[in-house]
Amino acid sequence: MAALLRGLRAGRALRGLGSVVAAPTAPTRQCSSLRRGFHRTAPRLQDEPKSDKPPTSSSSTTYHEHYQAHSAEQDPAAASQEDSPSGPAAEEASRPNTSYQDQSGEQGEEYETEEQLQARILTAALEFVPLHGWSMEAIASGAETLGLSSASTGMFYNGAGDLVLHFITQCNSQLTEILAEQHKQVHLGQAEPKKTADFLRDAVETRLRMHIPYIDSWPQAMSILLLPHNIPNSLKHLSTLVDDIWYYAGDRSTDMDWYTKRAALTGIYNTTELVMLQDSSPDFQDTWNFLDNRIQDVVNMATTAKQVQSTGEAVVQGLMGAALTLKNLTGMNQRR
Amino acid sequence: MAASMRLLVRRAIRLSHKNINVTAAGLSGRSGSCWEPSSCRCFSDAAEDRSTHFGFETVPETEKAKRVYKVFENVAQKYDTMNDAMSLGIHRLWKDTLLHVMHPQPGVRLLDVAGGTGDIAFRFLEYIRSQQERQKRRAARSVQTPSWQDISSSYSTEDEVGPQESRAVVCDINKEMLKMGKQKADSLGVSAGLSWVVGDAEELPFDDDQFDIYTIAFGIRNVTHIDQALQEALRVLKPGGRFMCLEFSKVTNPLLARLYDAYSFQMIPVLGEVIAGDWKSYQYLVESIRKFPDQEEFKQMIEDAGFYSVQYYNLTGGIVALHSGFKL
Repeated sequence: MAALLRGLRAGRALRGLGSVVAAPTAPTRQCSSLRRGFHRTAPRLQDEPKSDKPPTSSSSTTYHEHYQAHSAEQDPAAASQEDSPSGPAAEEASRPNTSYQDQSGEQGEEYETEEQLQARILTAALEFVPLHGWSMEAIASGAETLGLSSASTGMFYNGAGDLVLHFITQCNSQLTEILAEQHKQVHLGQAEPKKTADFLRDAVETRLRMHIPYIDSWPQAMSILLLPHNIPNSLKHLSTLVDDIWYYAGDRSTDMDWYTKRAALTGIYNTTELVMLQDSSPDFQDTWNFLDNRIQDVVNMATTAKQVQSTGEAVVQGLMGAALTLKNLTGMNQRR
Repeated sequence: MAASMRLLVRRAIRLSHKNINVTAAGLSGRSGSCWEPSSCRCFSDAAEDRSTHFGFETVPETEKAKRVYKVFENVAQKYDTMNDAMSLGIHRLWKDTLLHVMHPQPGVRLLDVAGGTGDIAFRFLEYIRSQQERQKRRAARSVQTPSWQDISSSYSTEDEVGPQESRAVVCDINKEMLKMGKQKADSLGVSAGLSWVVGDAEELPFDDDQFDIYTIAFGIRNVTHIDQALQEALRVLKPGGRFMCLEFSKVTNPLLARLYDAYSFQMIPVLGEVIAGDWKSYQYLVESIRKFPDQEEFKQMIEDAGFYSVQYYNLTGGIVALHSGFKL
């Protein structure tokens, strides 16, 4: 058993070494993904006993940069410019990741699994979405920037749906990172906890801002998500998103509230997304105002519901008291 | 510098892999560029001791290639007619399905091995052309009132190399089949982006990393060493390239299997005799189908050769299987 663990650790160490060897000569983009991979393996070597959640410290910073770069729209353009002169070098560098290490046909020992490679292709394809829309052409262009032939798009049987779902998954995990970071800050006492309404508002705004670079083609993406074979996946992602937001907002309810809260937030999120599609105000100010109003509505409704309930209780108590008094007055309360 | 070193190391590893396969088959070392198919095959004693199947017969390995060559030399003239007669025209649907699954993007290079009369290559060029037309139509429709900038840029893009970028190379070991293909191309008026090359699937006359898509339709069961053909496919494909193979395979439904067997063994050689005047070649055809490994086994062979994400689709109930793998 101990020998098995030692062997696993040695295997992972070799993989880490392999990535180090490949890393120095790789161009920047491959370098960042390789470094991310290396970071993934290195902490794993140290944290083997506690293997619950992968360490988010290093990857969250890169996600932070990525997130900020998304809203600034600078990074994709710069990265693609860096990529084109180093195209052939990228081809050389990307190949050691997959075929060089492993010719035995076993997929487990590969430095990068097929899913990871597919994720890389889809991430690269996101740059071409403003040009080609959410389509196979975008995926083909993305594959070409990685040095792979455009025939590799055949791996994506769902085509554009794969691309949109990948983007959604990426945005959701970015949001979760940000919320976890904020939660940690509050826990450490470095930040003040926000009120629920503000928290929800900020979370939904952060998430919707990630759509801004692709807002022109977002209607196409939404229609792809509504295709029958994509509906299960898109609903799943939406429900996990809403659940995560409520979790970090501090909701621990176990009764009917759980459902009503999530239903309310789903409604808010969907309607705000639709408003954002036809919003032409500067920095989508109208959308955020709409969001404010909707959240206010929900808060008001919750307060009103509570008021109605307490008023109802008070009224009932009052009536009971009046009935008791009446009984006393008429003498019916005496026991004879 | 380090990149070229890695390339050399990788080539050395690949060569050593090939050498292992090659020495196992008894051939001397090879470099992977142009070789005549007949030259080195008869040079080793070890190969003559090994036998393989030719239909239901057992023949020495050296014999099989020669006999397959003769079969296709005989049937070349009536090949297309016989295909239509035997499959009742369904082979066109199979080949169309291959193209739809392939979904080639404009600008890719196709290698069609055992392409013979060029069916796949013609369909490929047609598909690319119609895709480009559709894209142009879509672009034109989206810009109903073009600004003067759009109009001037459309003038400049007129001499862009569009359809010429996609190229199809048809490779076959049999010169007669290629001749028929060339005649068909001339009669259809297709000539741009098409080339015809004589070559052996086990030793392709191309350099490494040349093609985006490698297809072999109804040809791989005639190859003596299927694993060598798969290795060659891996070699000539670019990284990210796709390997696609259409081949007759095992029928899954038992009732359909009985009907299919009856049809194969009773009808097809008779059709061969009547239409092409050659019973034995079509007997070989039907028997070679039975000798070919089934879907799962062939998928395993493709994975062993080094392809990833291997999948197969059963067409017409399993009569034909379309296997696809990627070089990643």
